[in-house]
Amino acid sequence: MNGLPDVGLVGVVAGSQIVSSIGMKEIGSIESELFPPLVVLHGGVPKSPIRIYGKESLVVIIGETAIPAGAVYPIAEAIVDWASSAGAGLILSIGGMAVQNRQDIESPKVFAALSDKKLSKLLNGSAEVLGEGYIVGTYALMLKRCAEIGLPAIALLTQSYYNYPDPEAAAAAVESVNKILGLKVNTSELLRKGEEIRLRSKDVMKRTQAEMVRINKGQEYDVPPLYG
Amino acid sequence: MSKERRKSNFSDYLRRTEQIAEKTLASGWNETASSIEPLSDIILGAAEVVVTMDLPYVDPNAVQVKVIADDTIEVRAKTKHKISLNDLGVKHRKGEFNLYHAVLHMPVPVNEEGMMHKLKRGVLEIHLPRQT
Repeated sequence: MNGLPDVGLVGVVAGSQIVSSIGMKEIGSIESELFPPLVVLHGGVPKSPIRIYGKESLVVIIGETAIPAGAVYPIAEAIVDWASSAGAGLILSIGGMAVQNRQDIESPKVFAALSDKKLSKLLNGSAEVLGEGYIVGTYALMLKRCAEIGLPAIALLTQSYYNYPDPEAAAAAVESVNKILGLKVNTSELLRKGEEIRLRSKDVMKRTQAEMVRINKGQEYDVPPLYG
Repeated sequence: MSKERRKSNFSDYLRRTEQIAEKTLASGWNETASSIEPLSDIILGAAEVVVTMDLPYVDPNAVQVKVIADDTIEVRAKTKHKISLNDLGVKHRKGEFNLYHAVLHMPVPVNEEGMMHKLKRGVLEIHLPRQT
């Protein structure tokens, strides 16, 4: 499962909640000279900003810093190849789908982009299949590569703010993950601590937004052409 | 102009651009002024400019929006209570904040007359009519 910084930081917030809720342990990290030269201190210990957590057959990748535009291709390829070599049965990526009238939406809807139409049966009614549209960024490349090599992949994209952290959208995404994977991750904490999460994530969101501009993330607003 | 001089000018330009970008991206926690620069967005419409701003913990009754120049607005919004960096897990810096403060440049001149703003789900939305 991927929870990388993206629209509304939906993936990071949802992924972090899943990791802490089911008590996953840190099992590795992703390192690259393409990332900014930084570490994140947690409990006084320096850690990579992109870490891998595991428990039983579930592995979650969380990113605490914006993925630089120049690292998008290599990181997408590396994650898919690593998952494939490890025998992963499904890659589930959690992200946001920006909507301009987000303030007026009480319950954000979750959409799913699939590497293969047959995967729709895994959704268990938790998300609406995205038939047409653009996806830009790491998840887009991962989805395409998974389709090419026949590795099942789903990108769960929840209606969210574009450049504001969105814990409510993250909660909706976690509910979908619960249905797909049969987990019981509690989402009430995300809603209760919503304001704190928004304030603490402000700076990561700002840097993520700058990278989203560089990869033309705004193209996800575009209406796709008729042919296809 | 020599090739070396052009190369030097270009390097200076790149360095200045990087400095501006870093300043723009810098954290908006102003410990001296006890204020926070909020995340914001500006949408240019045909008849109006719409500005949104993420204001967690804001006091809905303490939001002020002013047009301070034809193309500039200022927003001041108090929080419901003081927020310290310590509360947010930051131990190596001290600071308490009780105010969101932003000065934003509009893409076109706007009018204060007819301006409307509303706060919903902690996000401020400001509608500013464009000058004709």
